[in-house]
Amino acid sequence: MSIRRRRFIQGSAAVGGSLVLGVNLTGCGPTPLPHAASADLQPNAFLQLSPDGQITLQLHKSEMGQGTYTGMATMAAEELNMPPSMLHIEQAQFHPDFIDPDFYVMLTGGSSSIRTSFEPLRKAAASLAYLLRSAAAEQAGVDIATVMLRDGNVYIGDLEVKPASLIDRARQQELPEEVPLKAARDYRFIGKHNARLDARAKVTGQADFGLDAQYPGALSAVLVRCPHFGGSLKSFDASAALASPGVEQVLEVDGAVAVLAGNYWQARQAANKISVEWNKGPLAGVSSRALRAQRHELAKTEEGKQVEEVGEASAAVGERFEAFYDVPLLAHATMEPMNALAVASDDGIEIWSGMQGVQLALDAVERATGIERSRIRLHNHFLGGGFGRRIQNDYVVEAARIAQLSGKPVRLVWSREDDTRHDFYRPDATALMAATIDGDSISSMQIKAVAPSIFGQFLPLMTRSLLPRWLPSGIHDGIGDMAAGSDPSASEGLIHTPYNFAYKRSNYVMQDVSAPLGYWRSVGHSQNAFFMEGFIDELAHQTNKNPLDFRLANMDPESRHFAVLSKAAELADWGNPPAGQYQGLAVHESFGSVVAEVVNVSADGGRIRVHKVTCVVDCGQVINPDIVVGQMQSGINFGLTAALKGEITLEDGAVQQSNFHDYQLLRINESPEIDVHILPSTNPPSGVGEPGTPPVAPALANAIFAATGQRLRELPLRLS
Amino acid sequence: MTSLAFTLNGKAVELDVDPSTPLLWVIRDELAMTGTKFGCGMGLCGACTVHLNGNPIRSCSFPVQGAVGQAITTIEGLVDEQGGLHPVQEAWIEHNVPQCGYCQSGQIMSAVALLESNPQPSDADIDAAMSGNICRCGTYSKIRAAIHAAAAGVQHYDPQANKAEVAS
Repeated sequence: MSIRRRRFIQGSAAVGGSLVLGVNLTGCGPTPLPHAASADLQPNAFLQLSPDGQITLQLHKSEMGQGTYTGMATMAAEELNMPPSMLHIEQAQFHPDFIDPDFYVMLTGGSSSIRTSFEPLRKAAASLAYLLRSAAAEQAGVDIATVMLRDGNVYIGDLEVKPASLIDRARQQELPEEVPLKAARDYRFIGKHNARLDARAKVTGQADFGLDAQYPGALSAVLVRCPHFGGSLKSFDASAALASPGVEQVLEVDGAVAVLAGNYWQARQAANKISVEWNKGPLAGVSSRALRAQRHELAKTEEGKQVEEVGEASAAVGERFEAFYDVPLLAHATMEPMNALAVASDDGIEIWSGMQGVQLALDAVERATGIERSRIRLHNHFLGGGFGRRIQNDYVVEAARIAQLSGKPVRLVWSREDDTRHDFYRPDATALMAATIDGDSISSMQIKAVAPSIFGQFLPLMTRSLLPRWLPSGIHDGIGDMAAGSDPSASEGLIHTPYNFAYKRSNYVMQDVSAPLGYWRSVGHSQNAFFMEGFIDELAHQTNKNPLDFRLANMDPESRHFAVLSKAAELADWGNPPAGQYQGLAVHESFGSVVAEVVNVSADGGRIRVHKVTCVVDCGQVINPDIVVGQMQSGINFGLTAALKGEITLEDGAVQQSNFHDYQLLRINESPEIDVHILPSTNPPSGVGEPGTPPVAPALANAIFAATGQRLRELPLRLS
Repeated sequence: MTSLAFTLNGKAVELDVDPSTPLLWVIRDELAMTGTKFGCGMGLCGACTVHLNGNPIRSCSFPVQGAVGQAITTIEGLVDEQGGLHPVQEAWIEHNVPQCGYCQSGQIMSAVALLESNPQPSDADIDAAMSGNICRCGTYSKIRAAIHAAAAGVQHYDPQANKAEVAS
């Protein structure tokens, strides 16, 4: 049995950086439905009708700005035929029915929420609607076809029936095998509803973020961690800290030093008085500069793993043209620093925090504390930004351990400096991009991507959630090692490209020395779109073609890429920028959506100024159009921050940046006009939260080339 | 510890606290009012913006002793006694400005102060007044539009005019 359980990696068929695992969950009995109240009608885990008439939606995805709170409500409300604002929305606890089909755990990421919930959530809502209609029909002795739901009531002809009065009878009804769903032409809210249901709470200060959770008598905790990744605590002297005002306790917690005080300020002041000695650990002496040089060397000397080959190598005729592209480590820099409130008692442990991976956090807390999971209760909150950072649960575990070891209720709050220096970073990566040019056409493209592996670091954490807990931890680490050589996120966006050159090959070389890595908005696409679309632009110029014409000539005219790029060029008036401005463009597919962006830039006096970004997106069926617009604008500003500013560097295995003065984010005075257009589509919904980010860095670099003649191949972009 | 007194959202507050404590932590940890946010602790991001006598300040790096005898307004203080929202808050809702929402208390406090001193700001005025407030979600386009709408009077604002439609 244990041997067969090892055979669960299904290869590199992952889409969009997602982890594709097949697992056999153990055959425990059914988990009780969330919000379980015996008087409720609970046809499934997603929805409940209470005797007071309230319909509750369990929000099984984390709201971190991407709009899933409104989107989920819109999809459920459509089948209940009521305005989304009528639903009561609760942050869901873990339940097996909330497991994401892409990730095999309950997790919010990979721009998957709307896409993977579109069918199941509408079916869950349609089931509740059907039970109510069926009960009303039975009660009135009429055909179900004459019964309908509208705006919170059940109607039999003109006769209005309160849904709550049907609860008992509805429980006795049987669902048909296939509950019918509304046809798209009948949608009242999908594709139309724009108002964000969380807006009022978020403009009045009432939205409940993890940092806002309250518990009587909770102390504030700060943690002093080793600045060198993988290092350890040698010794510390807390005598001055203990004498500092408001301090209640100082204790060692798993190789770090925790300070507990009456408020955050007191805890932070005291923490600054602790003198600590660290062992620097395995990254002592390692710098970003050295790691970059090592990647260039690896690109020249190692073949790595071939992840794509299309066509015959013999087609690669003509003159070889190649270029190195580079990107640095990046921090997520969510506006809300990491935090969690934890209370340990004889009954177990209760935690309030903002998490993208509730189930992973549950398992991690169980492992770290030894407290059985049935005695761990996690409350999720609005996330003050996620971008992939809160898939990790280090901060949740820290709070749990401090609460457990101190025996006190604690609110752990990271400083901005902690947040910048102890992130799980977007990998620093290099690509050796090469092509063969045969006369005025491209006969091949051959890519070698060199980067450390997020997958290799993250997979052991995943498998600990997926596999039986009695498996020794060595197996999990072994799985990580096994997977690392074929990290799908390292190559996403470099393979399956729209360009139909006669021969295409893509290899991945893993760099095995690395800072902690994580999933950063658009993951591998965040660097690979820059590599690919920057290099494609170079090839256009190498063959004296207009960058737009070159792209269109090398892709299928029937493809979504062709349609999206053509539309973007048209709307941006490609080729006719305002006086003094220059244009660049890029098109990229990620998370099932295709986005093209045209950037208008000026570079007077060596100063890059982005004036306008025109964005066209094909994301399939749209649920909330204005949220899609907002996500494209958001993704573009996020990508511009990386293109113009973002850079985390290591020295001696420690991050050198600390706060917003040396890890700068785009501000309003630097933010361009952003014009977003959504292409209509009858395809199912695809990703929205991330796909706006990848194209903007290459489009900007290409515009800078147009403006200055300088081909910038490294982020952040710096004119020489 | 010293007893300090100031006005918070129109109400008298008196409390014993180290006078060097940043106002942010007095508001959040001592008074348990959580609408004002912690972002950087160095006055670099604006998430903690509140008003001191109507002027925006970064409460994370403003010692509470500076508030003694003064009037402090937080995001909670923008809502009137009947629960009615400030026109800037209304404009924020109409334009779907908030995404994660964490920075928006600070953004709104800065915008309210801007409109108090400059009822018809240009884009350049908005950039100058709002560049101390970072939004990691990048809601800047919508912030600009919402400030202009609030300046024009929310009652005249047509929410349909700026809403996205799926169009070819």
